[in-house]
Amino acid sequence: MKVQVLFFGATADAVGEREIVFSLDENTKANEACAKILEAFPKLQRNFEKSLLFAVNQEYAKGDETIQNGDELAIFTAVSGG
Amino acid sequence: MNKDFFELTNEQINVGEVARRIVPSECGATVTLDGYVRRWTKEKETLYLVYEAYEPMALREMEKLIARAREKFEIAHVGIVHRLGKLEIGETSVAISVSAPHRKAAFEACEWLIKELKRTVPIWKKEVYADGEIWVEGENRGANVN
Repeated sequence: MKVQVLFFGATADAVGEREIVFSLDENTKANEACAKILEAFPKLQRNFEKSLLFAVNQEYAKGDETIQNGDELAIFTAVSGG
Repeated sequence: MNKDFFELTNEQINVGEVARRIVPSECGATVTLDGYVRRWTKEKETLYLVYEAYEPMALREMEKLIARAREKFEIAHVGIVHRLGKLEIGETSVAISVSAPHRKAAFEACEWLIKELKRTVPIWKKEVYADGEIWVEGENRGANVN
């Protein structure tokens, strides 16, 4: 199945993209999807280690939710608004 | 009548105008935070800032923030406006106004709101210095935000 993956700020700079289409197996859980994306973009894990946050359909990921075809995923660093 | 509001804007924020949008008759005071761009951070001089947001998610998180503030504090109305794009020194990046029947709740809620906004709302700040630039990473490192 295909999902959209969005990047912002530092992660967009590291990956060189703001938005990509990514392939995942059916029934992939959020945690697994995140791991697959980090595998595809090793610079993310190298640069940001534990500071990464993951969202699915504009909600912070719990980890065990199942990703659906067409979902909107996002990976970004710890937020710094305000 | 729900007078709460939460917005992202690319325009200059008029803090007084934000504060005056939530003056309800049952309250006597509004507490407003005017957060603006500082020139010095850890002895580095900032030339300007750039703010970027995951806009639809930022709006959802701001809405949730207001709902949580209502559960926690006895307040009447909340208004939050955050600016995006390039900001010069001294310009307002965020305005948070809270009105309440009693000012203690308004002060406490306002402080809580800025703290939680900085922890949960997907907005990022890039500091631009004379000798480089850096996306600031927040304090919340991968913790379960909810």
